[in-house]
Amino acid sequence: MTGRDWNGVTDPPTRISIAAGPLVGPVLRRVVGMFAARADLPLDRLDDAVLVADVVAARAPAHVASDTVDVALESSTRSLDMCVGPLRSGGARGLIVDAAVPGVGNVIEQLADGIDVETDGEQEFLRVRLAYAGAD
Amino acid sequence: MPALESGIRLTLPAKPENVAVVRHVLGALAEALGLPHAVTEDMRLAVTEACTNIVRHAYAGGRGPIDVTVRPRGGELQVTVADAGRGIGPSLDTAGPGLGLPLIAALSDSLEIEGSRGAGSRLIMSFLRTRDTAAIGMA
Repeated sequence: MTGRDWNGVTDPPTRISIAAGPLVGPVLRRVVGMFAARADLPLDRLDDAVLVADVVAARAPAHVASDTVDVALESSTRSLDMCVGPLRSGGARGLIVDAAVPGVGNVIEQLADGIDVETDGEQEFLRVRLAYAGAD
Repeated sequence: MPALESGIRLTLPAKPENVAVVRHVLGALAEALGLPHAVTEDMRLAVTEACTNIVRHAYAGGRGPIDVTVRPRGGELQVTVADAGRGIGPSLDTAGPGLGLPLIAALSDSLEIEGSRGAGSRLIMSFLRTRDTAAIGMA
């Protein structure tokens, strides 16, 4: 997801970079909600995607490699891929750990259908996949 | 009105459905900043027009990005809409009235156009954050 260019077979993902601060939450939740709807996720999974976006917006600024929160989004039939980063070394795991909510558990781990950590030199990327369980 | 510490950058494929994504981002930004309705509507319409121009004309049926950046500049928001396409020039693929750039100029408080044939284009629009009347009475 991180290295595709405009000469590839498919388009690169949509990328959004937001200065770490109060705009991350409002902007990211809107975009993620739109991509979840585009993926034709049912309402409960769309809500889950927005919840993950809210957690990323709240926790990622402590783990980013620069002063922006960067997210790449890609929707396909009944699934949404969200790649957060670049993060500092150890930041991907840190972000997952920070997603734990007392009395609820870890929001990302409970809601995601797939979690991967990609490394590029000193930087890390956290890829979170949400899908509809009924999808083929 | 909350301060905008720094900016937002959005890079996405130049496809019709992605113009709506840009509009949603601007809407969320405007809500978060508490921008006046008139400014929000003018900004959304101007940026929509700029993005639509890219989708329709920049890549001549090929693929490429729309790059939208929003930055604070004192009491203004500066919105830059850029592409890596064929550059600004007479369009051979439309018989439209060519109102896009004049409309963008009317809606924004200032407009700069950069680019040349084959080198992409950049529209740099500024919007006063405190303006409470629509530029051309559309909001």
